[in-house]
Amino acid sequence: MAEKATEKTGMEGEMEVDAYRRLFPLPFYERHLLDSLRPDGRPLSRSRDTSLSLGAVSSADGSALVKFGDTTMLAAIKLEVMTPSKESPDEGCLGIEFHMPPICSPIVRPGKPAEIAPVISKQLEDAILSSGLINLKELSLISGKAAWMTYVDIYCLNADGSLFDAALFAAVAAFSHLQIPLVSLSEGGRVITVSGENLDNPAKELVNKDKRNLTLHSIPFSLTCVLHKNYILADPTAEEESIMETLLTVVLDSSSQLISLYKPGGSVLAFKTTVQDCISHTRKRVKELQKILSEALSDMEID
Amino acid sequence: MEVDRIDGRTPNQLRPLACSRNVLHRAHGSARWSQGDSTSYKTAIVNTKERNTIILAAVYGPKAGTRKGENPEKASIEVVWKPRTGQSGKSEKECELILRRTLQSICLLTVHPNTTTSVIVQLLPCAINASCAALVDAGFPLKHLAVAVGCGLSEGGSVILDPSKAEEELKFQAYTHLVFLNSSLSVLPEGLPHVEGKPVEDGIITSVTHGAMSVNDYLCCMERAQAASAKISEFLRRSLQSQLPSDPAKAL
Amino acid sequence: MSTAATTTYSPSPAKKQQTIFKDLDWVRSDGRGFQQCRPAFLRTGATSAASGSAYAEFGNTKVIVSVFGPRESKKAMMYSDIGRLNCNISYTTFSTSIRVQGSDNKEFSAMLHKALEGAIILESFPKTTVDVFALVLESGGSDLPVIISCASLALADAGIMMYDIVSSVSVTCIGKNLIIDPTSEEEDHRDGSFLISCMPSRNEVTQLTLTGEWTTAKVHEAMELCIDACSKLGDIMRSCLKETASTLQ
Repeated sequence: MAEKATEKTGMEGEMEVDAYRRLFPLPFYERHLLDSLRPDGRPLSRSRDTSLSLGAVSSADGSALVKFGDTTMLAAIKLEVMTPSKESPDEGCLGIEFHMPPICSPIVRPGKPAEIAPVISKQLEDAILSSGLINLKELSLISGKAAWMTYVDIYCLNADGSLFDAALFAAVAAFSHLQIPLVSLSEGGRVITVSGENLDNPAKELVNKDKRNLTLHSIPFSLTCVLHKNYILADPTAEEESIMETLLTVVLDSSSQLISLYKPGGSVLAFKTTVQDCISHTRKRVKELQKILSEALSDMEID
Repeated sequence: MEVDRIDGRTPNQLRPLACSRNVLHRAHGSARWSQGDSTSYKTAIVNTKERNTIILAAVYGPKAGTRKGENPEKASIEVVWKPRTGQSGKSEKECELILRRTLQSICLLTVHPNTTTSVIVQLLPCAINASCAALVDAGFPLKHLAVAVGCGLSEGGSVILDPSKAEEELKFQAYTHLVFLNSSLSVLPEGLPHVEGKPVEDGIITSVTHGAMSVNDYLCCMERAQAASAKISEFLRRSLQSQLPSDPAKAL
Repeated sequence: MSTAATTTYSPSPAKKQQTIFKDLDWVRSDGRGFQQCRPAFLRTGATSAASGSAYAEFGNTKVIVSVFGPRESKKAMMYSDIGRLNCNISYTTFSTSIRVQGSDNKEFSAMLHKALEGAIILESFPKTTVDVFALVLESGGSDLPVIISCASLALADAGIMMYDIVSSVSVTCIGKNLIIDPTSEEEDHRDGSFLISCMPSRNEVTQLTLTGEWTTAKVHEAMELCIDACSKLGDIMRSCLKETASTLQ
């Protein structure tokens, strides 16, 4: 280690910035942190530029494309009909799946899925269920006979850090964009969609005339921070995540309830003050994300 | 504030702890950790299986690095989570990741570069305590011992420590698993993640929560769990001292 | 959650047998002429994590292709003087109107490999592999030709040496009519299909597949139609690459 250090100081002067960044990533970052600025020019607590577009997938009932800097997530919701279970005849069901196809990152290859993908799936499921975003009763069509099975599929198109945050925002946005198709009951007892010319003069009575949108109760939003020494870096890129290994993800809902505080190990300990700082960063981020979501929704209404 | 618990404990009372090491002969290190005991409670309504948490952890290694986790500078740790029945699914994968990251932060990884150590466990706060004891049993160099505490938040808003399975299912609004460092008795070597003016055992290594709660409730859980971690930490130290590794050669 | 155990079905009504295709003078659902392609939207650099990438949108067909490498071969394979090409195509669960379990399409992957192999200068990256991964976001017909064209754009974006870009177009034969760049609905009613991948400026074909019943005269007609469309598509791809290069400067 000592040799490395002397070598480093000797080479620092002449080495090109890019080479230095690759060879000594941690010292490179620490130098930036001293000035409270990150290599991409962000202050420590600022998140990357975030964009949201709703309705990106025409074959789905609800969809959203989210970008946090270079991290891109595409979430789409498809509704299918299921027979509700006997224990809860008035409830539909949610199936949330997070996918990391090989296109998104050099570490994922076909037949060798990323080990983080099922973990993020589980976290998303936990966050969405425990925040009470969806009232499963609203997914019921005919009590005991038919209910909506809601498949939420989130695809990571480009992985550059803070995957969970982007995935959760994409999922939530897709839910707010969701349009439930009008359906009626066919002779065979199957539920079928009614559309186009049949709409004005439906042969069968519509089952769900006044339930076209879901009421979203408390919407969860999240922020991941990287902890390094005393620094807290919000919304890390993939590079930052890999160099400084301690991650802390806070999920808050719109009424500031804590949905999850997730810190899977890491060499840096989270003290009470750190936890409080992360939570207050998250509060700010929740406001930003809420604004982006409501702007996207109002744009859609105008169109 | 007073909440009646099924097994008659006070909210702050932990279940009795037990830890035995070197229970498996093939493994390089192993430990059995249990929280809860069938005989010590007056109320016997609940099936004993549901009240006790027993974890078995086995450690194999350090052994030659597998291709997947190969790292020329550090040792890698692999965690295999065996569900009691059936195939491992999403939640097992999540537990594996949490456990692996937590163990990585307490192990001295630079001592055995380019090797892999497998930790096999068959449930969460307990699993951390068990694997920690198993790592000690295997003679793996550690920076610290980690102590894990489970914390439940009942619907009334009061915090209950170390909830049993039966309690978890019954009435919790939310629960939290927190991992702290064992309080150290010796002088801290350099390079430890300590912050000036704060004892290391105040910091969280790992935090996992389920269910919604207010921020203050979380901070309250954190305080209570931290107080309890001191007790477990003392127990762990005592139990480790009383049964030092019987065969030092096993560590190799 | 008991999602796996429950059986579900899509509520969309079963499609009626389209009879309009039997008429001699039917009109395509999107109003195109029989020999008119859908407008192509192409962009490079969709995925920054990859060495090169491209996004293609032809009507409702939306595809992303990422190229990784040249990099170490995944399997410990035998020494090879020339580089290897590895292709994989997968579909999203929402790519079609009825939800499917997203999976790899082995047949298309093999065909993509064959279509590109001839255009890439494999000698330029010995011992290593170039991975071409495609994800079909929405499947709206003519998926394979769109993937092939998009992949060749992504390869160019990654700086992989090629003899020329590969553009690909397909033609479907319904009754007496030849229909270029078919939608999924049109593909479902085909009597035969014809796909060509070629390097427009070298005037060389890298892949030609023909299925169904064809007369020799029809094959000639289809070939001419496709080659002409390929060279036009090639121009669009070229201008897309130029655009990216000029914005970089």
